[in-house]
Amino acid sequence: MYRPWRRSERGRILATRFGLNPNSSSLGVDVTFLLFGAAALSIVTPVVAALLRLRRPARDHVASPAIEDQRA
Amino acid sequence: MWPLRRSKTSAPERRPARPLRVERFGAITELDRPRALVFVDRALARRLGARGSAAWLDPDGDGDVGGAPLSAPLEAHLQLTNRCEVGCQGCYTGATPAGAPREWGAVEWMRAIDALADRGVFHLALGGGESATLPWLGEVAAHARRRGLTPNLTTSGLYGLDGLLPIAHLFGQINVSIDGLGPTYAAVRGIDGFAEADRAIRRLRERKREIGINIVVTRVNFGELDELLAYARRRRLNEVELLRFKPAGRGAAAFAHLTCSDAQHRAFWPLVRRAARRHRVRVRLDCSYTPMLVHHRPPRRLLEELAVYGCTAGDFLIGAKASGALCACSFAPAAEGRPSLDQIGDYWDRPDAFGAFRQWRDPDEPCRSCEYHRLCRGGCKAVSLHLRGDASRPDPECPRVVDHRAAEAGAGRVRLPVVM
Repeated sequence: MYRPWRRSERGRILATRFGLNPNSSSLGVDVTFLLFGAAALSIVTPVVAALLRLRRPARDHVASPAIEDQRA
Repeated sequence: MWPLRRSKTSAPERRPARPLRVERFGAITELDRPRALVFVDRALARRLGARGSAAWLDPDGDGDVGGAPLSAPLEAHLQLTNRCEVGCQGCYTGATPAGAPREWGAVEWMRAIDALADRGVFHLALGGGESATLPWLGEVAAHARRRGLTPNLTTSGLYGLDGLLPIAHLFGQINVSIDGLGPTYAAVRGIDGFAEADRAIRRLRERKREIGINIVVTRVNFGELDELLAYARRRRLNEVELLRFKPAGRGAAAFAHLTCSDAQHRAFWPLVRRAARRHRVRVRLDCSYTPMLVHHRPPRRLLEELAVYGCTAGDFLIGAKASGALCACSFAPAAEGRPSLDQIGDYWDRPDAFGAFRQWRDPDEPCRSCEYHRLCRGGCKAVSLHLRGDASRPDPECPRVVDHRAAEAGAGRVRLPVVM
């Protein structure tokens, strides 16, 4: 069984913010899953995880120096 | 209507894939289908291709979203102009036909977008004033796309529509402000614009699926929320965003008679939940509604997994005034020293950046003992700033804060000596 809160070598999804926020005055959050509860999100989270893993590895955007750079 | 629905975006809406953005807790990455920002821990970030950063040297930070400010905001709210002909009574920017002094033009905004892209910002929310009338709005939106940011737009729909329709495809989402149906619209906004806004919604919806409405919830339209969600369903809109009334701009003067009552704030989430289920409309709540949401004690883990936070100004989001002045959010004053948006790279990492907006970790009661404080962060600091004169005070409209103050007042009355 998939347990998103379990730490493992595979890593985990901590949070997912769905949708786009068009409102220029505040940060809106999609509350659809609050309507259906944790069970609905527990179905969607593995799908999101699978979609992430199916993607090609992305280069990372680092605002602070990479570990390797700092140790050099 | 639901998040996993496939988005039929046209070719010009595509933009380059964003890289994984490394954070202290792990990383943030973006999905186009479903549209989402996904926060992952360090192990998953490594599996997705991240090399790591100096921030990963602290083992305690792994998985700790909110333990420290992000490396950059998720989104920036750009007030492209403060010009607007309408003059709504509750306008939080106090927009006028003349606009603000020293407003930026396309060149300055595009330079700032470059700075945001360099920092790894994902989304833009463009507003005003009325940005739809700007002749260079499409140029700025297209530039954001080229730099990998998704531009989104709020418009009143009252004018500028003919210029907006041909460039609507450039935006991820466009929402039209509708604060009531028919006469309620006029009662909330002080001007009768419902028919025109409705026309704009219908014409935009003919062009694009990602059209929604923003509703500023007031004591006047509170009783009409169910009908407003039904309206959104009839117009086949993909979302409704519900916003709390803020005492900023002209809204400061209108606040006392337009803000919802305490009873309405307490009834808000059950009402929204029923209406969203009944009409099968996707609902978004603005960050300032988190105190009213957690009042009903939803599962904290679920809120965490949906990244439902209260005030994340100066952290998840930033704002910029029409003059380009950087601010923690659209309701906040310009940041100290008046840095401009294109100086975000230098300003962001300063320990005193955004002042009280980042100083929520050591709160007064009743936030101190609230189990949701780490998520809620003390509620809306813009409301605290305007009503209490101090952004770091607990949100005075939070039901828990209202109860706490009532209890304190009651205790104070008990202690008063009886005067014969």
